[in-house]
Formats: sequence, structure tokens, C-alpha cells
Amino acid sequence: MIKVTNLTKKIGDVNALNGLSFDAKNGQITGLLGPNGAGKTTCLRTVFGLLKADSGETEIDGIDVAKNPMEAKKNLGLFPDPCGLYERLTPREYITFFAQLSGLSSVKAKAATSEVIKKLNMDDIADRRCQGFSQGQRMKTALAQAVVHNPSNVILDEPTRGLDVMSTRILRDLLIQLKEQGHCVLFSSHVMQEVAALCDHVVIMANGQVIAQGSVDELCEKAGKATLEEAFIELIGSDEGIAA
Amino acid sequence: MINLLKVLYKKEIIDASRDKRSVMAGLYYAIGTPIAMCLLLSVLLQQLTSPEGLKITIVNAEQAPSLVAHLNANEIQSTNDKNDELLKSITLNISDDYQKNMREGRPATVTLIADKSNDKLGKHINRIEKALASYNAEVASLRLISRGIDPSIMRTLAVETHDEATPDSKGGMFLGIATLSIILTVFYAAMNLAIDTSAGERERNSLSLLLSHPLSSLQIVLAKSAAIASFSMLGLVIILIVSKITYGLVPWQQLGFSITITPTFMLFCFAVCLPIALMSASLQVFVSFMAKSFKEAQSYVTMVLFIPMSLSMITTYDIATDIIQWVPIAAQQYALIEFIKGNPLPVPQLVLSTLITLILFSVFSFLSSRMLKSEKVVFGL
Repeated sequence: MIKVTNLTKKIGDVNALNGLSFDAKNGQITGLLGPNGAGKTTCLRTVFGLLKADSGETEIDGIDVAKNPMEAKKNLGLFPDPCGLYERLTPREYITFFAQLSGLSSVKAKAATSEVIKKLNMDDIADRRCQGFSQGQRMKTALAQAVVHNPSNVILDEPTRGLDVMSTRILRDLLIQLKEQGHCVLFSSHVMQEVAALCDHVVIMANGQVIAQGSVDELCEKAGKATLEEAFIELIGSDEGIAA
Repeated sequence: MINLLKVLYKKEIIDASRDKRSVMAGLYYAIGTPIAMCLLLSVLLQQLTSPEGLKITIVNAEQAPSLVAHLNANEIQSTNDKNDELLKSITLNISDDYQKNMREGRPATVTLIADKSNDKLGKHINRIEKALASYNAEVASLRLISRGIDPSIMRTLAVETHDEATPDSKGGMFLGIATLSIILTVFYAAMNLAIDTSAGERERNSLSLLLSHPLSSLQIVLAKSAAIASFSMLGLVIILIVSKITYGLVPWQQLGFSITITPTFMLFCFAVCLPIALMSASLQVFVSFMAKSFKEAQSYVTMVLFIPMSLSMITTYDIATDIIQWVPIAAQQYALIEFIKGNPLPVPQLVLSTLITLILFSVFSFLSSRMLKSEKVVFGL
């Protein structure tokens, strides 16, 4: 469970977060939807403790990230944007390395890595160095890294960018599987179809604030529109960023 | 804590060792320096031990055949061939009344004409002046003897010098340069790796991912420093082995001293340089993180490495040894020199400087780990 209360954060002269509050519950996929520059990445970086909020609180499974970062991060899987691969390591080495950092023993990390490689259909690239990987192969590697240690909370920053249809389906199945296992999945996106197809709970944000939240149906009803895309434009009051 | 450090260290080593070009760039220094130095030393030694022939223009040579013969015996020859490569623009003018004055026992004038501001001529002029002085003394002694006077009456002082230098301790300057090259390896062998693993890691965005995991930034910094230091020590081992082989080929006997790299010295050097390697690694990581980009880090690290280099230079050229011999790097290098010379080790200096080196390592590591908590540093803002 991830809980964000009243976050504010100023980067330079910009109020990147402006009193942001929302919940992402276990057993649910929560989508953070917003135009470019809405503060999605800033919000996620604050959740995993890379940025410090000027005020407000972030809790992971009830643990305050600012006060007890080590404990809070143990229950977290992270898929960042950009991916942050090590070009000279193979996916197998890369995933095992982060599994160990997340607290798995060497033996367990190796077993978990083999498992996740199989699950994501990446046997063919598992032992090649990441240098020269396609965008999709990079994304898969980063995704495997995020879920290898079976964290109770998974945060994904724009997880579908650059994925082909097959990989998008694999990702979708994986997220649904995580949700069914009772994990809390929080991802940011600006792709409407993705959010509409996956999310139980959608948080629409713009200018560092939550504009509206609820299920896809609730949001459509609230805006009086038939599709999420139209509802989104209606709610944020401009069509800025939708094309991206 | 220890386990995580091991995981991080292992990853750094694998990652760095696959960066073959960076590894090799560092190791070329370790392999190349002793070889280049030995070639230079061999050339230098040859010049020092066999004085090159010197040719000058002597005007009126026929007036002073015995003086010319004396100069010839000192390998200073007269030539009229303007295209002779050995001909220096020095002229010795023997006066017309030379023979007359000589016969009558009066000072006979010889004029040495040369440009004394020309540095290249300096040592040649000295050689000629010395040869003239010895000829002067010789003839004067003969004149005294012919008048029945003991020529030793002209000597008021009998200076005797007892040289206490052992063959090994004579090569001070060469030893300084040799140890300088060894110490610098510790700084330069892993420089590229140090920048790559810090500034490079940030630029590739993997640093922020690393920091999002449940580990402390100090663990990251320590693992990185340890990995960099390992490569520095690899460079050190290589330069010691290459030095041992190449120094064995230099014709030391011509100079009456030698630099021999013994296995004991290699062990001693390894132990003395280990703290320096750690300090150097943590310093380079610190500077790389302070820089905002990879390129900036490259310039800064190169600049900062000038400090240890100058400390080492001061020892090499024996400037201000009293104070400087307590300062890290200079003190360790001094100890290495004394070890090769076979002199007693400067134990208090060595212990204190090693301690300071380790304290600096802790300070730099701590500062780097503090910096990694700043979002400005992590995202290079």
C-alpha cells in the first residue's frame, strides 16, 4: 500500500508537486495519469525516497519513507524512467545484482532471476550484454529487475514506452498477475488505452495536484463523457500533452 | 552490511573489468613508464660516462704545440672544418707573443671567445677552462722544480674527501624518479574507471536506481572505492614486475650504483601503497560526484591529481624535506627510497602519514556518501 499525503515539492522556481494526496491500495492497479510535466515522475521519485518533499508525507505499507527509508524501500520494486541498465552486464547478472540488493541471498536471487526471466520470455537475451539492446529488451530487463524480489509494492514510471504489442501484452499480464497476488501496483502513464484497460483506480494529475480520482467508469460519469480520453480532457481543462 | 558490500564490490569489478579500453588505458601507464624510463636512463648514463668529443677553433695553434697536445689528451680538438658536427662556436685565441712569454717565464695570454649566455655551451666552456687550469698548474709546477723549489709549497690546503655513499644510495635522483613513477601508478592506473563508475554511472541513470534500493550511500561509495583501489593495486603490481625486469637491463655499473627491485621491496611497496590507493580512489570518486558531468569530472580529476603528484615531486627533487617528509605520499615515497637505499626506515613519519592517508580516505568517503543524499548531485542538477 502506498499513501501520499499533501506532498509539495519545489524544483527551481517550479512547483512540481502542489499538495498532492492519493492512495494506492493492495490488490489494485493504480494509474497516475497526467500530461507531460504534470509531476508524475517527481511524485514517484519522492515515493521511493530519491527526492525529499518540502512538506507532506509518503508511506509505504505504513512506513514513512522520509523517516525510515531502509525499511520502506524493502517492500518496493521500481521500474524507473530511464531504465538505468548496466550496459556491460547481462540481464541475468543485472537482475541478480538488484535482487541481492533488495535482500535476497545469492542462491535465492539466482533462482528468482531464472524464474522471472522465464516469466517474461527473455531466455534468448538473458546472457547477452545489455549493450545494443532494443528499447523493448531494455524495458523487459528493467521490468524483471523491478519484480524479481516479489515486492509487495511495484512502482512503474511509463512502463509501456517503446514496447511492441507482444511485450505490452506480457507486461499487462504481469501487472494483472501481480494484482491478483495482492500486490499494490502504481504506474504513471499518459497512454489512455493502457490506463483504461488496466487500472482499477485512476489518479488524474496536472500541475502537481490531483484533479480527480476514481475508477475509469466513475471518472467518465463525473465528466459526463463516454471515454476516458474525453473525460481526461474535460477534467484537466485542456488538451495539452495528450498527443505525446 | 558486509554482504551487501560484497555484492556491490563484485558488480563494480565485473562491470569495470569488462570496460577493456579503460582498464588498458590505465595499465599502459604501468607497463610503459618503467620501459620508457629505462631507455632514458640508459641514454643518460651513456652520456655521463663517456664524454663526447669536443671540437673548437684554435687560432695560432702552431704557437703552442704542447698546450694543444694537452687539450687533445682531454679530447678537446682543434678543427678548421666549418661543417664538422662536433664543432662548437668556441674560439681559443693564442696570442702572437705566446712563445716569447712562455720562454721568459711570464704569463702568456690565451683568449677564450664564446657566448656564455648560451646554455648549451656552458658545460663545454667549463671543460676547456678546467683543461687550461690543469695545464697552467702543470707548467707552473715544472717551473718551480726547475728553480729548485718544491711545488707543494703552492698548495695550502690538502683536501681529502671520504665518500660515505654506498653504491645503492648514490642514485638519489634516479631513485626518486623511479619511486615517483611507482606512486603515480596508484593514482593514474584506475582514473578512468573511477570517473566511469561515479560520474558515468550517474549519466547512465543507474545511480538513481541504485539509490532507490535499501542500502546506504556509504556502502555504495565504499564498494566503488574498493573496486577502484583494486585496479590501482593491479597497476602497482604490474609496474613493480615490469620495473624489476627493465631496471635489471640498465647498465648501472657505469655509474657505481644500482636500483634493484627485490621481492621484499615489492611486498613493502604493496603494503605502503594500499592505503594510498584507497585514499586516491575515494578522492577521485568524491571529485567525480562533485562535477556535474562526465567531461567535467575528467578535467577536475586530472587537476586534483596534480596535488599528490607535486608532493611526490617535492620528495623526488629533495625540496623542503624536513616538513614535507611528514606529509602523506611524500612520506611514503621517502620510506620507499630509504628502503631501496638500505637505510633505516623513517618509522614515525611512515606511521603518521599512513594514518593521515587513512583518515583522508574516511573523510572523502563520508563526504561522497553525504553528497549522494543530495538530489542535486544524484540528478546532476
